[in-house]
Amino acid sequence: MTKDIGTIMQQDHERLDQILTNTARAVSEQHWVEAAQLLETFRHGIVDGHMVVEESLLFPAFEHWEGGEEHPLTELLRKGHKDLRVFFTEMAEAIENQDAEEFTDLLSTVQTILQQHDAKEEAELYPHLAEALPDHGVEAIQQLHLLQEEKA
Amino acid sequence: MSEFQGCQLPEDLFYDLDYVWVRPEGEGIFTIGVTDPAQTMSGRLQKARIKKVGTQLAAGRHVATLESGKWAGGVPVPFAGEVIERNEALLEDPHLINIDPYGDAWIAKLRAEDPEHALDSVHTGPEAIEALQAWIKRYDVQCMRCSD
Repeated sequence: MTKDIGTIMQQDHERLDQILTNTARAVSEQHWVEAAQLLETFRHGIVDGHMVVEESLLFPAFEHWEGGEEHPLTELLRKGHKDLRVFFTEMAEAIENQDAEEFTDLLSTVQTILQQHDAKEEAELYPHLAEALPDHGVEAIQQLHLLQEEKA
Repeated sequence: MSEFQGCQLPEDLFYDLDYVWVRPEGEGIFTIGVTDPAQTMSGRLQKARIKKVGTQLAAGRHVATLESGKWAGGVPVPFAGEVIERNEALLEDPHLINIDPYGDAWIAKLRAEDPEHALDSVHTGPEAIEALQAWIKRYDVQCMRCSD
């Protein structure tokens, strides 16, 4: 049976969390080249894939389904994306400077943000997507797979 | 001092219209903190990390990160500059931000790289207060300041 868009997005959260965990392990072992590569895989997956699909397809569909252009939920989620992009840049700089302490501090904050951000999406956004999207999410799933396949 | 849904909004400060306030101190120095509605939305703060004195920051980068049991986030600077002082008291007791966000719980002081344009991206006066009131309504914030 084909998975629905909500399940696929939730699984993408889990996939990305695992890459971030692997990045943290590489930092703790001071494998800086590996850490930089893993962080870039994570950043590409979340910024150029997951967030692009959400911001270009899922959020607008949800906003339309809710009957307006602006919605406090998607506004908060977009703000979360903006903040996270800055944190990812700062984490990359910490790895570049081989500063494990700075990276660990940033990681703690980012993991808390992601945990809350993902939980909000999974509870308040994803359950409505199949209904909100005219094609039940077929295009979004294709787009996510396409972006995941693109090299960072 | 303007007040909306219990949230204090000093009219003489500059705001990024999200979480941050800025106060010019003269000679290119600016104090940065978080707003009353922002501290309310964050919940009781339990952890604060502030960049060390001497750190150079580009505009948009975080001068501090704050965490409560239910929330974590960064405090972005609206202009490029160098951290010249940080509020050490917050490192010991981040909850001060929930008590006095515009006073004792300032976060850091920065020397702007380009003081003349440091306030270009922030807003003040009635226009800022109106935008902050819209922010408070959008996120349905009812401010409460803790006393201890």
